[in-house]
Amino acid sequence: MMRNDPIKHVFIWPAVLVVLAISIFPLIYSLTTSFLSYRLIPPIPPRVVWLGNYVSLLQEPRFWNAILTTTLIAFISVALQYAIGFSVALALNARVPGERLFRVALLLPMLLAPVAVALVARMIFNPTMGPLNQFLTQFGLANLPFLTNGRWALACIIAVEIWQWTPFVILMLLAGLQTLPEDVYEAAELENASGWQQFWGITFPMMLPISAAVVFIRLIESYKIMDTVFVMTGGGPGVDTETLTLFAYQEGFKKFNLGYTSALSFLFLVAITIIGVTYLALLRPHLEKRR
Amino acid sequence: MSARALTGLSPWGRRLVAIGCLAWCLITVFPLYWVVVTAFKTPPGVVGGPTYLPFIDFTPTLQPFIDLYQGIRGEFFRTFLNSTIVGLSAAAIATAIGAMAAYALVRFEFKVRLGAGLVFFLLALGGYLVFNNTLGFTRPQALLLAFPVALIASVVVNRLPLPGPILGNEDILFWFVSQRMFPPIVTAFALYLLYSEIGRLGFQLIDSYVGLTLCYVAFSLPIVVWLMRDFFEAVPIEVEEAAMVDNVPSWRIFVGIVVPMSMNGLLATFMITLAFVWNEFLFALFLTNSRWQTLPILVAGQNSQRGDEWWAISAAALVAIIPMMIMAGLLGRMMRSGLLLGAIK
Repeated sequence: MMRNDPIKHVFIWPAVLVVLAISIFPLIYSLTTSFLSYRLIPPIPPRVVWLGNYVSLLQEPRFWNAILTTTLIAFISVALQYAIGFSVALALNARVPGERLFRVALLLPMLLAPVAVALVARMIFNPTMGPLNQFLTQFGLANLPFLTNGRWALACIIAVEIWQWTPFVILMLLAGLQTLPEDVYEAAELENASGWQQFWGITFPMMLPISAAVVFIRLIESYKIMDTVFVMTGGGPGVDTETLTLFAYQEGFKKFNLGYTSALSFLFLVAITIIGVTYLALLRPHLEKRR
Repeated sequence: MSARALTGLSPWGRRLVAIGCLAWCLITVFPLYWVVVTAFKTPPGVVGGPTYLPFIDFTPTLQPFIDLYQGIRGEFFRTFLNSTIVGLSAAAIATAIGAMAAYALVRFEFKVRLGAGLVFFLLALGGYLVFNNTLGFTRPQALLLAFPVALIASVVVNRLPLPGPILGNEDILFWFVSQRMFPPIVTAFALYLLYSEIGRLGFQLIDSYVGLTLCYVAFSLPIVVWLMRDFFEAVPIEVEEAAMVDNVPSWRIFVGIVVPMSMNGLLATFMITLAFVWNEFLFALFLTNSRWQTLPILVAGQNSQRGDEWWAISAAALVAIIPMMIMAGLLGRMMRSGLLLGAIK
């Protein structure tokens, strides 16, 4: 039942005003600044260059490198988070012994500050004093240059992302699994469907909507990654692990190239929107078919 | 319950699954154990290679924490206080006004014309350009003038019988939630510029309590609205209808009936928001520099200042982590009572 009472405006306006103010101000501000050549150091008065910033940005290899790095981190880590998360959620749902203990332990990583987690990761990945390399050398492997080699550094960042955010995937999928109706499984049991068949025939399709939502949230959030990289590698070695947000930060806060950074953050916004819309469009037919 | 999915497995299969879970659990817990242990190490315990067991591998010491408390590695005490103050107040404000908005979206009907939204955006943008370029106002002044003009105009337009699609509650909710999709760097950078220009007009927002809290409130609201909507939908409507028959005004129904009934949900939302603000890094990096610096910034700074002094780094990380560990325990207890499951759907 929907009521209609003038007091509804008192309820909704504070939130709308705050969100509108904090989102529309910066939007207009950076949209207009992105068409200017505007630097704080050295202080030159702003000059209109129209699409100049965008053109030079699109020709900048460092920008494309940042896009590639961010995309790699986002897609690989979310894919693995989903795979691991789904398996653990299935196991927890099946009342594995000690399941209650797991639950509290599993909640922890996603509540911790990414900055602190990255600091801990730095210690663990340290080539000479860290426990991981010591562990590996016991199996006769060489000391690995975890954070000083571009590819290894990227892999380490992805590993930390997986460590921190798989619990979120587990939590959401577990909640979804617990709402699945039982009678379908009973019917499948009568038909003598194997566990494997039950999973692909019932569980997976019925979990598709929530899976889509979880993957979507994680994908969008992963594209914003900054603090983990900032602490673990600072974008290095070179610019091998520089993500989009970090690139924007370096340009804007270190060089104070305002017009350029605004254009960059705008392109970022456009890219995120394109990814989001494409994702939803690709998935929509699958989601509607099941209903 | 699909618990049967595993009962079909052989005992060995069950054991295998349990071992897999245990392995993941170990991977989760080991880094946490490592940071706790390292925080009590003396320098020789760190430099000589990894050591794991206190009293056997190395002699534990409280020195890193004493150093922290005495402020040898930055003003930890004040930073901790900053984080607590900003976190608690931002979470409280966001939960309060977010819950109100969520309740309105669940129980009242809203209609917004798409046209009105477009008018708002175009007038805000155009008004800003006109005020700034033609009338010679500074940029923040132009923004502050254009905003109310656009807002009033769009409210008026919304009343007019114009053609075009009409958006309902679901769309408003989507608008709220979609704010989370925004890359925060867009907002953080623009807010930094805006705040510093407002600062030049004499009202300091950079590195101030008001500026930081306002920004965190706005950025937590989408989650709060999203979570609280589900909690409010679970409140049985019959109770509210009974109160309405007795002519109890809406705000008293909300404060006196609905809020007490969804106290657990409010508490959970408050804690999740608090965790989000406590851990936030990017906005704090842009919007603070000394007085209102928060813990993540100070913790991140330890890295460059003290390369290999792991005992200090670990102690610093622990200070940032421990409050959230306590919260994980509390949330875990609430989850076991099945409370959060409804919220996630």
